Amino acid sequence: RRGLAVAAGPPSTRQLREAEEAAPVFQYAGKAAKRKDRVFVWGFSFSGALGVPSFVKPDAGWKKPRRIQPTPYRLETEEKISSAACGYGFTLLASNTRDITKVWGMGLNKDSQLGFQRSRRDQTKGYEYVLEPSPIPLPLEKPQQTQVLQVSCGRAHSLVLTDSEGVFTMGNNSYGQCGRKVVEDEIYSGSHLIHQLKEFDSRVVQVVCGQDHSLFRTKKGTVYACGWGADGQTGLGHYNITSVPTKLHGDIVGVNIIQVSSYGDCCLAVSDEGDVFGWGNSEYLQLASVTETTQVNVPRHLPFKIGKVKEAACGGTGNAVLTEEGNVFVWGYGILGKGPNLIETAVPEMIPPSLFGWSDFSPDTRVAHVRCGLSQFAALTNRGELFVWGKNVRGCLGTGRMEDQYFPWRVTVPGEVVDVACGVDHMVSMVRSF
Amino acid sequence: LNAAPGRAPRQQVRFLPAPGPGGGGAVELVAARVPVLADHPLVRGPRFKKLKIGAGHRLDVKASGVFVLGIGHGNKLLTDLYNCHLTRVYTVGGLFGKATDDFSDTGNLVEKTTFDHITREKLERILAVIQGTNQKALLLYSNIDMKTQEAYELAVKGLIRPMGKSPPIITAVRCLQFALPEFQLEIHCLHETQQYLRKMVHEIGLELKSSAVCTQVRRTRDGVFTVHDALPRTQWNLQSIREAIRNCQLKVETELERTL
Repeated sequence: RRGLAVAAGPPSTRQLREAEEAAPVFQYAGKAAKRKDRVFVWGFSFSGALGVPSFVKPDAGWKKPRRIQPTPYRLETEEKISSAACGYGFTLLASNTRDITKVWGMGLNKDSQLGFQRSRRDQTKGYEYVLEPSPIPLPLEKPQQTQVLQVSCGRAHSLVLTDSEGVFTMGNNSYGQCGRKVVEDEIYSGSHLIHQLKEFDSRVVQVVCGQDHSLFRTKKGTVYACGWGADGQTGLGHYNITSVPTKLHGDIVGVNIIQVSSYGDCCLAVSDEGDVFGWGNSEYLQLASVTETTQVNVPRHLPFKIGKVKEAACGGTGNAVLTEEGNVFVWGYGILGKGPNLIETAVPEMIPPSLFGWSDFSPDTRVAHVRCGLSQFAALTNRGELFVWGKNVRGCLGTGRMEDQYFPWRVTVPGEVVDVACGVDHMVSMVRSF
Repeated sequence: LNAAPGRAPRQQVRFLPAPGPGGGGAVELVAARVPVLADHPLVRGPRFKKLKIGAGHRLDVKASGVFVLGIGHGNKLLTDLYNCHLTRVYTVGGLFGKATDDFSDTGNLVEKTTFDHITREKLERILAVIQGTNQKALLLYSNIDMKTQEAYELAVKGLIRPMGKSPPIITAVRCLQFALPEFQLEIHCLHETQQYLRKMVHEIGLELKSSAVCTQVRRTRDGVFTVHDALPRTQWNLQSIREAIRNCQLKVETELERTL
């Protein structure tokens, strides 16, 4: 320390070095700092599907309600969300915790697709719009042991898959899509009924909701379906409704199916050998490679020569598959992702990998997952980047712009995207922070 | 330069009187090539009194690397090269654990932080995000309508580039070396300044929940000119300069033809 007798001057190099060494060291993250899991939502918010009440009912008088959230917005959740699904105006979030509350829902509840949400104003009635992630009470036998594996949402119904207690269904059942007998003039709004399905040949490992039908995939590789069948989407050989989950036959008999996908009225299934099977609506050339008819009610093998298929995703009018090499193939109708000139094709066309970030600098970049909304596609790369393309219905692409996107475009998310769920006009993604 | 053999003096045709074939008295005009006296070096003086030298993209005092100069006609070529909007490659060295006010290691210390939680994986993740956001900026500032088939085809080939003014854009980043607390990156960028690159190093430090300063910025490529074409200090003499100009002429011409 200098006394008053020494004149002040610019600090010498030695003084600077000493000051630097004596400076305190701050620690922002320790060696064992864990990456946090977060949920990001974006899209149309007035249905409550984004789970942020201040978008619909602002907390200050001068603020305006936010109709569309054009870029990813962080949603605070109580638990780590392992599975999410977007329906037509509502969202389900599920966590694989052993606590009593495992599933949360938000958005439209006019058909009790989010279960019964008791209204605080009138204890006998339920909420028709749920603006915040609210717990869904499931009638579990062992609530502190069962874990929820996956959730799926359709137009007005939802399915919850558990590890030991089968599948729970709730919501609209006018076509038997909940797997129980259709009751005439049933009022679905404010209903407490949650149906449990247990009779399958083996444990159910994946549940998928189409618009008004449900598909169940079991461990043995068989597929069951119930619900509306006028487009043949139940794949049971007829065009009537089915109210009990029934096994599918056709070209998938004896084939070990490892993934099923559907969102509109068309369905795709992938076998362990990399073959693709499809059934349902084919008005948009989705199944035109095997048949000229517009409805196919029996699963048919789609003979595509694109290599071994790893994952398939079905949208409303367009389909996408992901091969083992990491290439994405699209076909069908609508904005398929190859520029404005490609509107429809019956044969799968590959999207160039350079659009997904592949370049000479990063030749290992490849697509890891594909997902479909009603008229949008989403692809996740192995670097944790999210690419979206398709019709930008009310801002659901999350790009920040309101125009349609004709080729894959990056969505800026502050973190590594682990999974994404696409809906009609909103999307939910599960992200790990850096 | 003035000592080198200059241009041969212009020749002109003049009709000079010469003794005619007839002999004695008759004068005939004979055409002969005679050098113009105005071109004679003693009349004109030294050829080069001043040289116009222009500089290419700016290089900081603290940075080093390839620096392009144009002489005479080369100045016009420099403007054309600038309008080509070619990328530049830098090797940037950084140091974790410190934060200074001017983002380099010679500034005043602002903060010291721990950095032992940083791994190469985390760094590469951050670099991937930076590349992603800059890709978006690339597409946005290129002023192409995203809805056209043309835009799609250019995007597939990776040829979309902002052809006008734009904020600094990084087209590619790669981690060359990583040895805590030091690391080295290779950055390909457009319309940047060296201070922006130093700020980028500082921001990378912040993203990794620590802090970083930039120790070295070295330009390894400026458009078509690489370190191999550049002349080190020992070779700053006339011979090497002329050779270098000759070598680069072809490259510059092809690049200009390709873009404009």
